[in-house]
Amino acid sequence: MTILNESGVPDVLPPLHAVNGLANRLTGALVVVVGTRGEAHLVQSLPAAPTPGLPRSARSARVASLVLDPEHPPPQGRIASRVIEAAAGSRGTELVLLVAGRPAALLGVDASFEARLISRRLELPALAVDPDAARRAPGSLSTDLQDSVIAALVDLCPKRRTSDLVETDPPARKLTGGLFGNLLGRSSEEERPGRGRPVVLLGAYSSPAAARELTGDLARSGVEIAGTVPSPKGLADLPPVGEGTVVAIMDPNLTTAARAAEERGAKLVRTLMPVGVDGTARFIRDVALEAGVGANEVVRARTVWVDLDPLRNHIRGKRIFFAGDTGVEIPLARFLADAGAVVLEVGAPRLDRRVLATELQALGPDVDVVESPDWRGQLARIDASRPDVVVASPGLHVPLIARGHLCRSPHDFLASGPYGYGGSRRILELFAHTFERAATLDSVHL
Amino acid sequence: MRLLRGVYEGPGSHGVLRVAASLRGVHAVLRALPGEGYFPALYGSNTRGGEPAPVSVSPLWEKPDDSRAPGDLARDLSAAVRQNPEAEAVVVTRSEAALLSGEPLPVTSLPERARTGRAPKLVTCSWERPGIGEVEAADLALEDFVRAYVWGKRERSPHPTVNLFGPPIFGPGAAAEYAEAERLLGLIGVEVNTRVPLGTSVEDLSGLPRAWANVTLYREIGESATQYLQDELGMQRVTTPMIGATGTGAALRAIGELCHLDTREVQRAVWAELARTAKLPWYARLYRPETFVGRRVAIFGDFTYPLGLGHALAREVGLEVAACGTYLTHAERDFLFHASTFTDESFVEDDPEKVAARIEAADPDLIVGTHLEEGVADSLEVPFLPLCPPVAEHPFVGRPLMGYTGCSVLADALDSALDRSEKRPEAPAGGAAQTPWTDEALEELAQIPSFLRGRARRLAEERARELDSDEVTREIFLQSRD
Repeated sequence: MTILNESGVPDVLPPLHAVNGLANRLTGALVVVVGTRGEAHLVQSLPAAPTPGLPRSARSARVASLVLDPEHPPPQGRIASRVIEAAAGSRGTELVLLVAGRPAALLGVDASFEARLISRRLELPALAVDPDAARRAPGSLSTDLQDSVIAALVDLCPKRRTSDLVETDPPARKLTGGLFGNLLGRSSEEERPGRGRPVVLLGAYSSPAAARELTGDLARSGVEIAGTVPSPKGLADLPPVGEGTVVAIMDPNLTTAARAAEERGAKLVRTLMPVGVDGTARFIRDVALEAGVGANEVVRARTVWVDLDPLRNHIRGKRIFFAGDTGVEIPLARFLADAGAVVLEVGAPRLDRRVLATELQALGPDVDVVESPDWRGQLARIDASRPDVVVASPGLHVPLIARGHLCRSPHDFLASGPYGYGGSRRILELFAHTFERAATLDSVHL
Repeated sequence: MRLLRGVYEGPGSHGVLRVAASLRGVHAVLRALPGEGYFPALYGSNTRGGEPAPVSVSPLWEKPDDSRAPGDLARDLSAAVRQNPEAEAVVVTRSEAALLSGEPLPVTSLPERARTGRAPKLVTCSWERPGIGEVEAADLALEDFVRAYVWGKRERSPHPTVNLFGPPIFGPGAAAEYAEAERLLGLIGVEVNTRVPLGTSVEDLSGLPRAWANVTLYREIGESATQYLQDELGMQRVTTPMIGATGTGAALRAIGELCHLDTREVQRAVWAELARTAKLPWYARLYRPETFVGRRVAIFGDFTYPLGLGHALAREVGLEVAACGTYLTHAERDFLFHASTFTDESFVEDDPEKVAARIEAADPDLIVGTHLEEGVADSLEVPFLPLCPPVAEHPFVGRPLMGYTGCSVLADALDSALDRSEKRPEAPAGGAAQTPWTDEALEELAQIPSFLRGRARRLAEERARELDSDEVTREIFLQSRD
C-alpha cells in the first residue's frame, strides 16, 4: 500500500450540510446554527435542491439559524435569550444544540457559555458544537459534524458509578480450549450473556436499524450492549459511559467522539470498523474480548461469505475508485478488495493514522491511498484509469457522470447501513444494482 | 442578530461566484474556511452540466510555514492561473469568515499564460464586506467585470442591436428567458449584441458599447452595470420587466424607440405575437369573470418577478394582489414605488416567518413565491406557484416566464392552480365562521412558527367541532397537535 499526500483541496461536502438530518435524527432536539448568512444559506440550500448523489433530506422545522450581524456582534447572553425564545415555541424540546463554528468565534461568540446559560434557564441539556473544530489530523470530512455531536452526546451520558464497576467486573478468564483452540477463539470458557463489561457503540448515525442489527450480533456472542450513541429512543436512553465501559466506534471519522469517551475513562476498542464480513467478525471478536467474553466469529463469517457469493460475482474484478468525502471509504475499500474487487485508489481528505492504523494495515498492499487529494488530479486519474464505478465526492459526481463514468455517493452507503453482516450484503447489493442498472440503460438503443 | 427559519439570499461571495460561473473564461478563487466551499456541490446539482464549477477554494487555515499546501492566497491565485490556462480573468471573492478574519487582499500580479503571453485580468471585488447579500454582490461584481473590459469610445453596430442583461446561473429557466427575449427582438428586427452574464465570454464584454441600447431583463443583477454604461457611454436602457403581455409589449416598444424602428412595424409584431403566442390575455377572457374576480393573490420574491407578475396578475388577469413583497432590502424604495401601481399592500421583508405572517394576514387564494413560501401555502391550504427565485427545483427543460411564451407558461400555471382551488365560501352572516378561542389557546397558538400557524389553527377548530365544543381551549389545541 502506498500513501501519497497530494496536499490538495479535497472536494468534500461541508459538515454543516448534515444539520437537517441531525435535527430529524435526534428526537426532541432543537438545532440552532449560530453564524453568518453563508452558513444559514448552506444549511438551507444543500437539502433543498435534489442533489445528484445525495439522498434528499427534508428541511427540518426544528432547525433555525441565528444570523449574526457582522457590524454589531451580540453581547454575551443575547444568543441564549433568543434561543430560549425559540425553544419556548418549539414543543417537546429535550435538547438544544448550538452549532457555532469559526465565523461565530470570529465575532466573539462564546458558544459554550451561551449553551450553559440556555441549559440553566431551560433546565434542559444544551450543547455547543463546533463544526470547524480542529482535529488531530488536518483536513475535514463531510461527516465531521456528526462526530462533534456524538462527542457532545457522550458528555451527556450518565457516568458509571463505582458500584456498577463492582457488579459488572468480568470474572477472571479461565481458558480451557488448548493452544489451537485459544488461537481460534474456541476456548471452552463458560460464556454467558451479560457477564462481561458493558459495551457502548458509537456511531451509525445515518442508519439506526443497522446499529440494531450489529447490537444483535454482539449480543449473540454474549456481549452485553449497554446502548448506542446516538440512542434511537432519545436522551433518556443514553447509556452510561465511564470507567469500566467498553466503547466501540462504528465509523472511522469519530475521532472526537472516541476521545470524549476515553477522557471519561472508558476503554476504547481499537480494531477494524464493523464494515464488511471480516471487519465485522474482527470487530465482534475484539469487542467481545475487551468486554471479557470470548467470541468465535470464524464460522459465522465463513457462512456469511458463502451466502454472499452470488452477490460477489457482480463485483469480482470490478475496478473501483473512491474519491473520498465521508471517511467510510477506507473500510468500504477494504471490504470490497476482500470481496474480489480491484480498488484503484482511496481518497482520504483526512487521514488520522493513529485511529486508522488497523484499517490501513488491513487494506492490503495493492491499494493506493491519497491523502488530501486534489480534485483536478483525481479527475485526471479517473479519466486515465476508467474505473468501473467511482464512489464520488459531491462536486465531482455530475461532471464524472457527464464524462461517462458510473458513480455512487458514499452517502448512499452510509444511509443504507453498511454495518455488520447485514450491512455487507447491503453494500454488495448497492453495487450490484448499480451495475445492473447501468447494463440495462446501456442496452437501450437510443 | 436575527433568528431565521431560512434565508432568501446567500452571502455576497455566492453572488460573485454565480456571476463568475455564468461568464465564460472566468475562474473564481474563493477565499474561505474549508467548510464554506459548498458552491461546487450546488453548481453540479443546479446546472446538471458536465463541467466542474470554475471555482477553486483557497482555504483559510493555519498551516505550517514550510507547507506548500493551498492556503496562501497569493500563491493560490497563481496556481489557479496555471491550472486554468483558458481563463481570461480571475476573480477573487472572500467568504464572510474570510472577511471577518480581517485578512487583507494580497498585492499580487498574476503569472502570464503560456498560450498568450499575457496575464489574465484580476478582479478583486474590493467592495466586499461581511453583511452584503448575494444579489447586491452579484450586481456589483458584474459592474466590476464591465468596468474591467469596457473602455474607449462608443462605436455602434451598423444595424440595431441591444445587450441583454439577464439572470445568472441558478436562476430558474435563466437560459430560456434570454432565448425568449432574443426571439422577440428578432421579430422586431433587433439583433442581440451580447447576453450578459449567462454564457458570454469576458472578451465579449469589450464589445458591449456596439449595441444601441441595453435591455435589463433582470434588474437585480444588471442595474449597476447598465447604469455605468449609461453614465460613461451614454447607452440608454430599458428596464421594464418583460413579464405579461403588457410588460412585454411596453418593453418591445421602448426598445423599438431607442433603436429608431418604425413604431407601426413594432406594433404589428406585437399584435402577431398576441394572436399567435401569448395566451394570457386569451386565458383571462376565456373563463367566466367569477374565476378571477375577488380572488386574492400574494406574491413574494426578488424584484423583477414579483413586480412583473404582480402587474400582469392585477391588470391582465384581474386578480386582487393582496400582498406583494421583496426580500431585497437594498432595493426597498424602488420596489415599493413600482408595486404601488397595482397594490396597496407592498412590503419589504427578509425574514421568512414575517413574510409568512404577512401572507397569512392577506388571506390569499393563491400564493406566488419562492420555495420558502411553500410551507405557508401548505399551511393555508391554498395553491402555490414557485415562480420567483430562489426556487429549489431546476428542471431539465427551462421554461421562460418572460416574453409572450412566458405569458402562456403563466396562463397554464394559473389555470391549473385556480382550477383546482374553488373559491372559498364566504363566511356566514354574523361572522360565525370561526370558532372562538380561549386566551390560553391563543397563547399556545402564538408559540407556533407563523408559517405553520394556519394549519394548526384549522386542525384545532376541526378538533373542537369533533368534540362539539363551542370554543377552542388549550387542551383541545394541544390534542389537535398530537
